[in-house]
Amino acid sequence: MLNIGKLTRAMSLLALTCSAQVIAEASPPVPSSPREIIVASCSGCHAQNGEGRWFRISDQRKTPEAWQMTLVRMELVHQAKFVDPAGGDSQAALRTLVKYFADTQGLAPAESAPYRYILEQELNTIEQHDTEQFRTMCARCHTGARVALQRRTEDEWRNLVHFHLGQFPTTEYQMMGRDRDWLGLALNEVVPYLNEHFPLQTDAWQQWQSASRHNFEASWRVVGSMPGRGAFSGTMVTAAKGDDHYSVAFNGQFEDGETLEGSGSAVVYTGYEWRASLKLGDTRYRQVLASTSDGGELTGRMFQREHSEWGLRMQAVRDTGQSSVLAVQPGHLRTGSEGSLRIVGTNLKGDVNLGPGLKVLETVSRDKDQVLVRFRAEATAAAGARAIKVGAVELADAITVFGKIDRLAVEPAYAVGRVGGNEGSQPAVQAIFEAIAWGAGDDGQAGTADDLRIGPVTAQWSVAPYTEQAVQDQDLRFAGQMEKDSGVFTPAAAGPNPERKYQTNNAGNLKVIATIEQDGKPMQGDGHLMVTVQRWNNPPIR
Amino acid sequence: MYKVNSVYTNAGVACRAAMFGLLATVAISGCAEKENPVQAADESATPGDFLVVVNRPNTLHLVDLKQRKVANSCQLPGDFGPATVAMSPDNRVAYVLTNRFENIYGVDVDTCEIRFSARQSQGDERVKSIGSIAVSPDGREVYTHQNPTRLLIDRYEVQPTRIAVFDTAGGLDAKPVRTFVAPRQISIMATGADGTLYLGGRDIYAMNVQTGETRIALASQSVGDPLESPRDSLTVWPIGGVNHEMVRMYSAARFKDASQDMETADYVWGFERIDLATGVAEAKVFGPLEVVLFSGMARPSDPNQFYAALTQLKKFDVASQQELQSVDLEHSYYCVNFSTDGSEVYLAGTFNDIAIYDADSLEKLGNIELPGGDMALANTQVFSRAL
Ligand code: HEC
Ligand code: HEC
Repeated sequence: MLNIGKLTRAMSLLALTCSAQVIAEASPPVPSSPREIIVASCSGCHAQNGEGRWFRISDQRKTPEAWQMTLVRMELVHQAKFVDPAGGDSQAALRTLVKYFADTQGLAPAESAPYRYILEQELNTIEQHDTEQFRTMCARCHTGARVALQRRTEDEWRNLVHFHLGQFPTTEYQMMGRDRDWLGLALNEVVPYLNEHFPLQTDAWQQWQSASRHNFEASWRVVGSMPGRGAFSGTMVTAAKGDDHYSVAFNGQFEDGETLEGSGSAVVYTGYEWRASLKLGDTRYRQVLASTSDGGELTGRMFQREHSEWGLRMQAVRDTGQSSVLAVQPGHLRTGSEGSLRIVGTNLKGDVNLGPGLKVLETVSRDKDQVLVRFRAEATAAAGARAIKVGAVELADAITVFGKIDRLAVEPAYAVGRVGGNEGSQPAVQAIFEAIAWGAGDDGQAGTADDLRIGPVTAQWSVAPYTEQAVQDQDLRFAGQMEKDSGVFTPAAAGPNPERKYQTNNAGNLKVIATIEQDGKPMQGDGHLMVTVQRWNNPPIR
Repeated sequence: MYKVNSVYTNAGVACRAAMFGLLATVAISGCAEKENPVQAADESATPGDFLVVVNRPNTLHLVDLKQRKVANSCQLPGDFGPATVAMSPDNRVAYVLTNRFENIYGVDVDTCEIRFSARQSQGDERVKSIGSIAVSPDGREVYTHQNPTRLLIDRYEVQPTRIAVFDTAGGLDAKPVRTFVAPRQISIMATGADGTLYLGGRDIYAMNVQTGETRIALASQSVGDPLESPRDSLTVWPIGGVNHEMVRMYSAARFKDASQDMETADYVWGFERIDLATGVAEAKVFGPLEVVLFSGMARPSDPNQFYAALTQLKKFDVASQQELQSVDLEHSYYCVNFSTDGSEVYLAGTFNDIAIYDADSLEKLGNIELPGGDMALANTQVFSRAL
């Protein structure tokens, strides 16, 4: 675990590992305070600037991941050492600093909310940028989210521009650099823009600092779904270990019965940023979740450490003894059909009521956290999203009733896969697609604004060349394999391929096609897949 | 003055160099002092065309193009990159920009003697040069375009870019004898016969190297043609030596009319050149933009034929703006060059081989493999030597 590269280590340090805990328990240190560590580690270069303030350090706020990246840069580029004057080890000192900075110079929940996809490693998100200038100046090497997840004074935004060009002098020579006065624009237009949109002082942060903090020791009901695997439900039990650290026991299953079970540990940063590191079966996972302001729910994504493309979008709801309905699986059903539904919640009591036109035929099984029923939907049942009830408790928009599927979409509409796996380099990055069914909505026209999203359906998958160039270059043959039943595409091996023209690598430009059959007729939807080269640098914030 | 090793034959010299302690970075294992220093190569054994290029780890090669073989190899101090080479007017000394874009070495290509070196970064200022190095026509001065950054204790401060002038007789720890503030984003340079320094950036600028006075010699991005999109020029390959010109390609969209409709526009390749004898500047479209090309130049024997390469080698007729011929290459080559008589094309860059093509037929004539690693962004310089 400690032998992996430093940048990967940057990710793993955000949540304590099991082995680190054991060491900590074996020799209880008397750790220094964060400020003592800063004085010992940083003040040689960053002079003190008032009580508990240091030049460069104190005029910016950012996420725990971003603090981690900055501190790792201090170590790699400037040879800073993380020194605990009380003699604790340097990795513990680094963790202490990340925690301290994230707590005291973090982001308010409202500030991080629009950009959580990047923390959650939803890497196929297509970003929408405020201005074309922001996109070309600041979101061409990394995401715009990396920028928008920081708050700084104007001076600190300016320092950041100087850092960029000083550290990466080719910035102003590259495409979208050499076509403009990059430095002039960055200093005179972008810095004021950033200062206006992402200033150090905000009301949101002011309020969040005085908001009450929660104890996250609880029993949690988990619901979610993992593209490529399906719906999931489970439980998570957490126990406080002090200082916002928790142990985590996780247990649950996919709709096909396969289980995901194991344990790990978590840290809560900034009062709401939940980061856990878990070992489930043989696979290491991370949770990047955010708490609601009442501390009652954690939502976000749990993904594989080595394959972040595999992730569970999840919601963990604190079990307070109250009854609640959290999800219905599957989330849609067709009029005139019969089938079964799993209703997931906490402390479920009373009858299941699916609303007019949907009849519960039989309760197959039930316990306090879930009910399995068989239903029949009348042909005349009203289409649309509807609430369901268990006893007196209701869940709005719990299930979507549809007459027929009018169009099929592929999600993500655009995805990137990466070749890999040759000579133990970077593993290939798979691309995982879902087929999403849509109804035409009230206007009877598919493809219009009032279309009804029905939800993910099982499909057959194939790929085709996206362009004429892809035909000529035989991308279909070289780029990798699509799993016919699951929508999972596995890119081919990395490195130059002597069989290909110009000995290029196994990149490819492919159309992804999902096919379903409805009433004996096929229906297709398609998406776009770019298979490209490895990324060597995979920091926690892309 | 001392010699660094000629990598493959001359370990003894390297040992000596290392012992003199003039450059701690000479990396050589197994120094055997008793070995007699062997002279690397006879001084310019054959008349005819030669090519100079640098590859990884940081090795300059003198290639005898007629014999199709590496005539001499000189290990340069420091790390690789970008390995841009400019030749002295007598073609004896190669001035190489290397060591992570920071140092300049003037190397005697026949003896491997390092005659000149300069460390551009000084004190708290880190200086990088991106492909921009040129030698004065009298061989007395070498010019670089410098991108300085002050590395302060807790922050960086980007400084104005400038031209640094070095005296080629400045020795092994040369410092600039003059500096002039210059435009940013300069990626190639060349000197005219009258001593003017040309700087290829957002436009091509001409600088008087005595006064620093700078004017636009060729308006590129600032040309303001309503029928053309802003030009884009990607180059770190000063290659016009055999034509005595500075040349670079650009891509642009040509509009049908002032409405600037991208839908109906033609995408074109053009070149921009400065005749280094006369200073005359010229920009011209030479063909349709169909694939990405990295570098190109006119055929020495026929300026109406323009050749460019990346994954294909293409030949264009400049007057008619038509592609005449195209061949697929075995892998991509970044840097095009020509024999002095225009009969052969030399493709380099990317990996570690130089591919030779017949300029008439575009038939492949052979490869010269360089010992060592890839050339990456390195340029080639071709020149002829008479006996
Ligand atoms: C050896 C000198 C040195 C040490 C020690 C050092 N830093 Fe830095 N720090 C720098 C320099 C130089 C910069 C500006 C360049 C950069 O951003 O990398 C910088 C920049 C920063 C910034 C601003 C980064 C940004 O994105 O704008 C922060 C925050 C910071 N340091 C924190 C720390 C902390 C915390 C420590 C102690 C653990 C530390 N530094 C130790 C030299 C140092
Ligand atoms: C040429 C590519 C490039 C461009 C253009 C670019 N960045 Fe970056 N940026 C980087 C790299 C690389 C890093 C990582 C530096 C490190 O930590 O080693 C980075 C890091 C950052 C960080 C995190 C710094 C920290 O330590 O907290 C921020 C914030 C940022 N960039 C903002 C911007 C802004 C604002 C712009 C536009 C003015 C911009 N970037 C343009 C490459 C780029």
